[in-house]
Amino acid sequence: MKRRTLLLSGLGVAGALVVGWGVMPPRPRLGGVDTLPVVEGEVGLNGWIKIAADGSVLLAMTQSEMGQGVHTALAMLVAEELDVPLARVRLIAPGRDRIYGNVAMFVSSLPLHPAESGPEHGGYLGRSGQWVVAKVARELGISVTGGSSSVVDAWEVLRFAAATARAQLLGAASLAWKQPASELTVSDGVVSHPSGPRAHYGELARTAAATPSGTVRLKPPSEWKLIGNAAPRTDVVAKSDGTALFGMDVRPPGLLFAAIRHCPMLGGSAGTVDVVAAMKLPGVERVVRLGPYAGSTAALAVVGRSNWHARRGAEALVVEWRQRPAGGLDSKAILAALEQRARDADANDGGFVFYSRGKVPPRGDAGGPRSVTQVYRAPYLAHAAMEPINCTARVADGKVEVWVPTQVPGLARALAAEVAGVPLDAVTVHVTYLGGGFGRRLDVDFVGQAVRIAVECGGRPVQLIWSREEDMGHDFYRPAAAAVLRATLGEDGLPSALQITSAGDAITPRWIERGIPGLAGPVDTPDKTTSEGLFDQVYAIPHQRIAHVATRNGVPVGYWRSVGHSHNAFFSESFLDELAHEAKQDPVGYRLALLKDAPRHRAVLLLAAQKAGWPGHGPVRPLPAGRARGVALHESFGSIVAQVVEASIEAGVPRVHRVVCAADVGTVVNPGIVAQQLESAVIFALSAALHGRIDIEAGVVRQTNFPSYPMVRLADAPRIESHLVASSHPPGGVGEIGTPPLAPALANALFVLTGRRLRELPLTV
Amino acid sequence: MEIVVNGALRALPDELAEPQMPLLWALRDLLGLTGTKFGCGVAACGACTVHVDGQAVRACVTPLASVRGKRVVTIEALGSPGRPHPLQQAWAEHQVPQCGYCQSGMLMAAAALLATRPSPSDAEIDAAITNICRCGTYPRIRAAIRAAAAAR
Repeated sequence: MKRRTLLLSGLGVAGALVVGWGVMPPRPRLGGVDTLPVVEGEVGLNGWIKIAADGSVLLAMTQSEMGQGVHTALAMLVAEELDVPLARVRLIAPGRDRIYGNVAMFVSSLPLHPAESGPEHGGYLGRSGQWVVAKVARELGISVTGGSSSVVDAWEVLRFAAATARAQLLGAASLAWKQPASELTVSDGVVSHPSGPRAHYGELARTAAATPSGTVRLKPPSEWKLIGNAAPRTDVVAKSDGTALFGMDVRPPGLLFAAIRHCPMLGGSAGTVDVVAAMKLPGVERVVRLGPYAGSTAALAVVGRSNWHARRGAEALVVEWRQRPAGGLDSKAILAALEQRARDADANDGGFVFYSRGKVPPRGDAGGPRSVTQVYRAPYLAHAAMEPINCTARVADGKVEVWVPTQVPGLARALAAEVAGVPLDAVTVHVTYLGGGFGRRLDVDFVGQAVRIAVECGGRPVQLIWSREEDMGHDFYRPAAAAVLRATLGEDGLPSALQITSAGDAITPRWIERGIPGLAGPVDTPDKTTSEGLFDQVYAIPHQRIAHVATRNGVPVGYWRSVGHSHNAFFSESFLDELAHEAKQDPVGYRLALLKDAPRHRAVLLLAAQKAGWPGHGPVRPLPAGRARGVALHESFGSIVAQVVEASIEAGVPRVHRVVCAADVGTVVNPGIVAQQLESAVIFALSAALHGRIDIEAGVVRQTNFPSYPMVRLADAPRIESHLVASSHPPGGVGEIGTPPLAPALANALFVLTGRRLRELPLTV
Repeated sequence: MEIVVNGALRALPDELAEPQMPLLWALRDLLGLTGTKFGCGVAACGACTVHVDGQAVRACVTPLASVRGKRVVTIEALGSPGRPHPLQQAWAEHQVPQCGYCQSGMLMAAAALLATRPSPSDAEIDAAITNICRCGTYPRIRAAIRAAAAAR
């Protein structure tokens, strides 16, 4: 299938609904005065904003706070347009209206090359594809926090909702005081006229709700007071004194606790179970058998009076575990097979072509121009968020209440309703703070389990907490991948042709099957995430063929911070570094030569080089003996990041001393949070680059807890600097963009130190 | 059984509070003190760090029997809303928390360090703060500990 055919017939993730979109009316995402429920004293102005009697602004918060600062950033957008202090914006839970669905994330799932997307390029095919997917996504109304899309999605919607509310509030004052709205000013949520009258929003809200907004104008950047400032996060105090409420901190009255033991073999099941010893233990109440829920492996749960009692009960169960019918999974064999699939497809021009231009020369052209071919590999990875997987549920009187740290509350609701056998309206989902998400909480398997257990608990709430061992052994893993990269170098040493053929499981079709089964199609449509970071490079390489072989290996796979970019950037940016060394050229200069038509990327790379003291770009920073620098540049989620890593090898182990990040994230809402996220992504990626691997033998994940799945700790943390390129583009993503370049930049530094090219993650010297 | 938590003698239900029950679960599930977090259960991540007689300990592997007659302090009593601990102030100034889940343990580990080493060196900070943070707040934690030490 050609890409063009795919775009017009499949449209990525939303393909199944394309046929239907034409008959559904488009819905603006503003909502109405009655979209949000109100209590006495509150007035709804639209689907996003209510005004409280004291003039506070109540903002419907659709996005989950998992560390990325989104509760602060989105409140800033609203505070800016309404001219209220950030502290006057309070967050409330949204309802179930489709206006809350994330459109930007679905639009970004289209496999578009940068030359076909982006407003500055304006390719017809890309724009029409984006338009159709946006319409479909609006109809679906799926609320998702993911894909670094929160600010991208909210940027126009929330500012427009707030500006509309402001116009109505001013209109109400104008009517009441018989003064032209143009003469009114707003300061800290108080409207006033030079002739004397003043009123806060709470006093104007009731009239405002019935006052037309007129033409709504967003503030131009020159009038911004808050956007662009490093406003302190609104959640810092609660996250420093123990009061922040995470999933496993909810304490509804009468709470019971549940521990879980999955079949250790992924995809396996439970045969006979001896519960006698478990039930004899004090504090143990019952045992519940759990089938697969939304992709989980079968399990047994034990309900007890505390988590510890439940866990002791679970450990005392004697279970006959059964391997899955297809046999035990083996990650070593899978990786070998992936490499073979990539090699075969490379040799036969196979795989789905995500991008091609020009004509890639045939292989083995002896005596022709210089060519380089290498194979890269990446392992499975677990998310290992600090808050282990958990969910609290109560099923009573035909109603279900769920408290859950989730990135997809709507999918949680749907599964809870299905498992409890109640209509959607009978389910209330409370989204707590997430103790890390990183993509793991885009899955809702544990919600199904918790609700099933709660059904057995006679109306009492039950809190299911997975042990760290269960969390690590039953994740939806970052897929393993292998890729063959082949380049032909021209007379100038620059690549004239690039062929990349990768192989690995597609995540999106599996995620849709388990989370939104109604949208699953009979065949997998090509998944952009498999090839992102490979097919969408901006380097000026005239001849390209970038293809992927989508496999189905049976290991549960899921979205992991920066998704395909996380390993594909390692492949592409390490390989480019190889080409630079092959051509005996400076890695920064080599990249710059390929970026003549990519000014934003050039600026980011130059800024990183300059700030890192890279030779040839301003004052050189002399390196202590035994250290070397490596560089990588990568665009993901609409933002561009370059990193320069300074590393050494101490006692045979790589050590990173300093990471200089430069980024163009478009318009910056909160530079403090951007810096936090770049630091966060660097450390997250460093743990993966140095230590991250999940091995599966006979269906069992060998890594069980942090001692066998190690993390970077404070003593290993490098100095991290962040520098932003000023930009007036719309905001790009922030939360994931710093992860992809770290591994290649480190591997490139290690090559300088050792002369040995590392082509497999994790990096061992 | 009775234990002293945050300055108060707290009674635990006899039928549940067995001597080998880890302090973590007694705090969270029997006393409702949920500020202390569960991260690994094997003393590897430090999310459950509390003070026992002023020492930082990992509550997930600390049996109830071992804290009888000792003073347990949790994040809930590190400071108070009107009088935050200097580290909590430094945490805000340096904008340390992201997801926030590990921060109770980080703060308790750092507070125990400063109590014995008012001006710790980098090496002492490295040795004392072995907790795991998946959001990568380490550089800010180091800066905040130094700031709090300097402010004392």
